[in-house]
Amino acid sequence: MFDLKKYRKKSPWILHYNAGSCNGCDIEILASLSPKYDLERFGVINTGNPKQSDIFLVTGPVTYRSRERLIELYTQMPEPKVVVAVGSCTCTGGVFRDMYNVEDGIDRYIPVDVYIAGCAVSPELIIDGVVKALDILEKKSKEMEKPLKLFKEAISENGVVNRRNVALKVGEVHEEN
Amino acid sequence: MKKIKVSLESVREEIESFYDYKKWHFLTLNGLALAENRMEVQWIFSKYEALDEVIVYYAEIEYTDIIPSIVDMVPSAIISQREIVDMFGVKVDGSEKGLYLDEDSMQRPLSGCAI
Amino acid sequence: MKKTINIPLGSQHISLLEPVRFKFECENEKIISVDSDVGFVHRGIERACTTKFKFDAIGYVVARVCGLCAITHSLSYTAAVEKLLGGEITKKAKYLRILLLELDRIHSHMLCLSHTCENAGFEAMFMRIMGDRELVMEIQELLTGNRVQFDYINIGGVNRDINSEVAKKIIENLYEVKQRVLGYMDEFTNNWSLSLKFKGIGALSLDDAYMFNAIGPLARASGLNIDVRNEIDYLPFNEVGFAMQTQSEGDINARNIVRLHEILNSILMCENVLSGLPEGAIFTKLKGKPNGEAIVRFEAPRGELMYYVKGNGSAMLERVRIKTPTFASIPVFSHIFVGENYADAPAILASFDPCLSCTAK
Repeated sequence: MFDLKKYRKKSPWILHYNAGSCNGCDIEILASLSPKYDLERFGVINTGNPKQSDIFLVTGPVTYRSRERLIELYTQMPEPKVVVAVGSCTCTGGVFRDMYNVEDGIDRYIPVDVYIAGCAVSPELIIDGVVKALDILEKKSKEMEKPLKLFKEAISENGVVNRRNVALKVGEVHEEN
Repeated sequence: MKKIKVSLESVREEIESFYDYKKWHFLTLNGLALAENRMEVQWIFSKYEALDEVIVYYAEIEYTDIIPSIVDMVPSAIISQREIVDMFGVKVDGSEKGLYLDEDSMQRPLSGCAI
Repeated sequence: MKKTINIPLGSQHISLLEPVRFKFECENEKIISVDSDVGFVHRGIERACTTKFKFDAIGYVVARVCGLCAITHSLSYTAAVEKLLGGEITKKAKYLRILLLELDRIHSHMLCLSHTCENAGFEAMFMRIMGDRELVMEIQELLTGNRVQFDYINIGGVNRDINSEVAKKIIENLYEVKQRVLGYMDEFTNNWSLSLKFKGIGALSLDDAYMFNAIGPLARASGLNIDVRNEIDYLPFNEVGFAMQTQSEGDINARNIVRLHEILNSILMCENVLSGLPEGAIFTKLKGKPNGEAIVRFEAPRGELMYYVKGNGSAMLERVRIKTPTFASIPVFSHIFVGENYADAPAILASFDPCLSCTAK
């Protein structure tokens, strides 16, 4: 049987979008996917399709015109998904901070799980970031599978089961999975 | 670098009489903010296979003036014309806004009176 | 009823590294008109150069216009400021600048060639070239300390000296690269998916190249003799064996061949630089503040790059105008697309080697 959970962890697919970077980090992403660094030997594949990807690599501070595209791509990715901000300008705006057509960092628009600093980021750091993203991806998929508990254990007094006060607020009890 | 001053009315004739497309190539259209709501427009050309021969036609204009287009003589000028419209908020014949800037970004950012 | 259909390409697409959107109007298979949107990466660097940064820092800021030709950007800006300050830099610094400029050209052309292979569906060749490209990246890291954004060039010279071990490693690696490139030459001329398939596709005639002011490998593939290295004298390119590389067909295959020949020529120049490297300092202090205006042109991997710098004697400049190669080539791109099959569009686009971060600044 096709075990999606297992394959997702063993072979995460990457979506890459340039939201206004200088290209430096983009070619380093390409370099980390090709021989010498070779992320692909771990099954990490660069796709162009958001609907098949698990990890979203974003480079660049968000420029005004790429805002909608960034969010569109993010929303099209299926859950669970991890966002990795590649490069200093993606994390904080970097050298482009306060320029007039730039938002300072992508976390103003989408939640970011892993920040990788550096200008330009070296392929080793990208690999580290993706490996970190894999752990987060696993955690997120576990959280998704966890059943939502609505009742507490009912208390029985003298053989009579008391069904009052057993409703749970969301997040009131943290179960160890 | 040789600078030749022209006026907006005469710039098309000047360029037409000088521009031989097999000898010169058009580099770019440049703008420069001056004081008192004026700007300088520069048409920059350079010569093929010559040692750094650059010729600059320039005109001083108001922001309200309309810059004539040279696209019929130099087809590649269209992109720089669209850029100068965005960056300085001037009007160029037949070039519309919106190459770089969106509605909510800073308008005419290089003009010295940016909004 | 309307007979044509509109097909978009981009802004996010697997064959594109950067966001650009083309809207092709097609009649059956043929493209009849193209509309492009190149403003996705506009950040506003030109304004920041005159309002945010002082003139001695801008050399590092303009490098962030584009990561692929970062060295050409900082070199052009620095040359313009040096022209205004009126100082002369040492010969060793000039030679080291040429060395890095040509190394950058080699790795950029290799990236473009591998991208062309990927678009031809030749994944193995893509991996091979990307793997060999690491040899060049390795040298760049040894020489400057970083793989992509070097920050190597300084007003008055360069930031890091070269020692004999690094020079030896550079010679070794470049020899290796040269052997590999000679191997590609065979693939690009004889392999069906890389040569015959690309012959006659996306052709640009010599007259059109003149008309649309084509630059870079795109123009040289059509037989137009334009290479800024031939037209400037800030750096002694002719001393180290620069030779113009041209072809006459003007199609995708010719562009690839031009790039391959240029890589070989650049390797030769690097070897000549290292064998004739003069002794001396790598940095001379230049005094004063830039005053006046200067136009400086350099040959980036994609064609002519122009900087216009105007200073008024203070630390803040009045104007920095950056004319990048891809920006000036957008009209000729649109011209070439018309009349081609839509299915060839990604391959043609890859053969232009567009750099949109440059275009939008």
